Amino acid sequence: MPKNAFTNDKITPTHPVMARCVVFHLLLTKKRSTRKNKSDQASGQKSSDVACRGSAQSADTHNTLIGLCYKMSDNEHPATDMQENIKGQIPKESPPPSQDVQSDSSADVAPTRKTRKRPENKPPPEVQESPGTASVAENASKASTQTTVTQGGWGSWGSWGKSLLSTATATVTTVGQGLSQVIEKAETSLGIPSPTELSGQMEKEDDAEGTIPSPSSSSEGKPAEGDGNVLGSAMGMLSSLSSVVQSTSKTVISGGLDALEFIGKKTMDVIAEGDPGFKKTKGLMNRTSTLSQVLREAKEREEQQTAKDVTSETEKKAHYGMLFDEFQGLSHLEALEILSRESEAKVKSVLTTLSGEELTTLRDDLEQIKESFSLMEFDDEEVDDPQVDDGESFVKELTDALKKLHISTTAERLGKARKNAFDRIMDMKIPSEAKQQQEDGSEHEATVTRCTVEDVHFSAITSLAELTARSIEQFHKVAEMLLHTSTDGVTALEQAKVLAQITVVLCKEISVLSKKFTACLATVGSNEKGEVLNPLITGVFLEASNSASYIQDAFQLLMPVLEVSHIESTADSSH
Amino acid sequence: MEAIWLYQFRLIVIGDSTVGKSCLIRRFTEGRFAQVSDPTVGVDFFSRLVEIEPGKRIKLQIWDTAGQERFRSITRAYYRNSVGGLLLFDITNRRSFQNVHEWLEEARSHVQPHSIVFLLVGHKCDLEPQRQVSQQEAEKLAAAYGMRYVETSARDAINVERAFTELTRDIFELVKRGDITIQEGWEGVKSGFVPNVVHSSEEVTKSDRRCLC
Repeated sequence: MPKNAFTNDKITPTHPVMARCVVFHLLLTKKRSTRKNKSDQASGQKSSDVACRGSAQSADTHNTLIGLCYKMSDNEHPATDMQENIKGQIPKESPPPSQDVQSDSSADVAPTRKTRKRPENKPPPEVQESPGTASVAENASKASTQTTVTQGGWGSWGSWGKSLLSTATATVTTVGQGLSQVIEKAETSLGIPSPTELSGQMEKEDDAEGTIPSPSSSSEGKPAEGDGNVLGSAMGMLSSLSSVVQSTSKTVISGGLDALEFIGKKTMDVIAEGDPGFKKTKGLMNRTSTLSQVLREAKEREEQQTAKDVTSETEKKAHYGMLFDEFQGLSHLEALEILSRESEAKVKSVLTTLSGEELTTLRDDLEQIKESFSLMEFDDEEVDDPQVDDGESFVKELTDALKKLHISTTAERLGKARKNAFDRIMDMKIPSEAKQQQEDGSEHEATVTRCTVEDVHFSAITSLAELTARSIEQFHKVAEMLLHTSTDGVTALEQAKVLAQITVVLCKEISVLSKKFTACLATVGSNEKGEVLNPLITGVFLEASNSASYIQDAFQLLMPVLEVSHIESTADSSH
Repeated sequence: MEAIWLYQFRLIVIGDSTVGKSCLIRRFTEGRFAQVSDPTVGVDFFSRLVEIEPGKRIKLQIWDTAGQERFRSITRAYYRNSVGGLLLFDITNRRSFQNVHEWLEEARSHVQPHSIVFLLVGHKCDLEPQRQVSQQEAEKLAAAYGMRYVETSARDAINVERAFTELTRDIFELVKRGDITIQEGWEGVKSGFVPNVVHSSEEVTKSDRRCLC
């Protein structure tokens, strides 16, 4: 789809991709002010209600589609347009003024900042949701979805459909805050902390808001103590999420495929929103500001937990964070962040040295590159491939794409990770089939040869962690090569598009894997009770959505790198 | 799970290109020697547990940097978060030895405000006949900079464990004495968790937990 399709308000939602994308958005767009509706959220009934609408497309979504699409590509002034599109559906409410997530210290990088700007949303203090009716809108984009998302809970999952990576991370350097916000939002929408706790938090957040350190200063790393249980336990929180989600997991299973999207979209949307909770969370947590740091803390927490648990159980739990670190995902992410930060600074300083036409030209160029990072489609159509393959087409697709970058890098390690996942799936399939054949054999043998659901779960989490770590490694290597080799015959803009494409391929593969593993789980655990099986399945979906988020965040980190690469190549050619 | 360790130290491995940094690390972390090895791009990562005293394990997170000049600006960014490092030269390559000074200068200037503990490694000591740098000479240089000196060979697995373990012990002592402290926002040293019950062997929990069907 041409990118301007997003800005064309004549476009009809009958375009299959668009329609799909919008339906998801409508379904999934989050209404954050669901704190009061904890019971609603926990209700499986409500969730299934929403989940079942996966294919429903009502006429009045069409209007909102336009508004949404509009919004996708135009963060600057969509609100009023949106309001028009959704007239008659929602009470109007003018969006609060935009606020930059980062300190907007340099006017020279305004374009960068602008794309990151998002409407500041003040959560209304009192929002009552009554089923079937739209409630007070938080902001235009959210408001527009109210009619379809009438209940809280699952309706609050975010959206990739918003154009997969739309503006994925609210800011490049503050990815971590995005994550913490995910956590906060996840908490609030799923009602993990008690309402009283939350209100306490909100107060604190409000207090903290005035004294938020600028990201640059906090990225120097002066994370405070305290409140560690909120953010520090990122993964812990997510795992407790799964127990809440559990109550809805019947829907998860039957919804199968959709569940991942719900979860993933939620994460994405939440990261993408960059709303006040972002700042609030940051003020509240007053901690780290990079994704790798947040992940690292989460991992450390897991490690401590594991160490504590070591005595008690046989310890079959799979810890995504720890596994991700073991595959060196954290290190690559951290290194990529360093490169990204340095590149960003370099771009800034170059911009300050230019003026006049040169400056305008460069800004236009950079703007174009940026657009490639915000306009993406995730066509989920072909993901429903039940076939278990060893990832050959995945590797081929990646290899072809990587070639277009004109740098020496291969998909070898990613291919290996994919192959490992495949092997794990095969390992699980064979014994369960073998078990069927020897049904009459001794019971003892059967139990020995058979996989437990925990085994499958562990394989799933391991595979997701490995593939994600390799994806981030790939992006890190790409960044290094971009910065340190001259890339002839291809522009930074073209490279940006290829990288966006690679991101889609990677996320798709994560999705495919999670489906295969959950299918395995369902097969292996067909005799298990729901309370055993369901959390495992939800866990896989959750980590899959996290995986996709990390990959997309890593992709966003490449933007300043490509900008530097562009600046350098144009400087070379002019000399 | 390799969850049980006292501290995590981040080490950086530097030195001219082709002195054998990656091979040394691979020997240490994977226990094998690759005859052919592609030049490192930017930085790569490895980790391993080291038991410095019975029951006291340190997790080493090793940043393997590219020696090639073109990546120099990348590696600079990585010094700051390292608590220690191996500085390699190739005993059969005099030039790589002469560059030791330059590497140290670079590291020292980029590690601020933290300090970094280095160990000088004369690598490829299996190639005795081609030796261009005498052990004495190297020891003298190391002493001048307050470093230990170890000669290693990744191919023959000589002193590989020793190089890493000695560096780890030195850092551990500094941490114990409080000369190096854990700081928020600094990745050089991280505190681990001491379990209530130490397992007889980490291998018990570390064992391959893929489906053992």
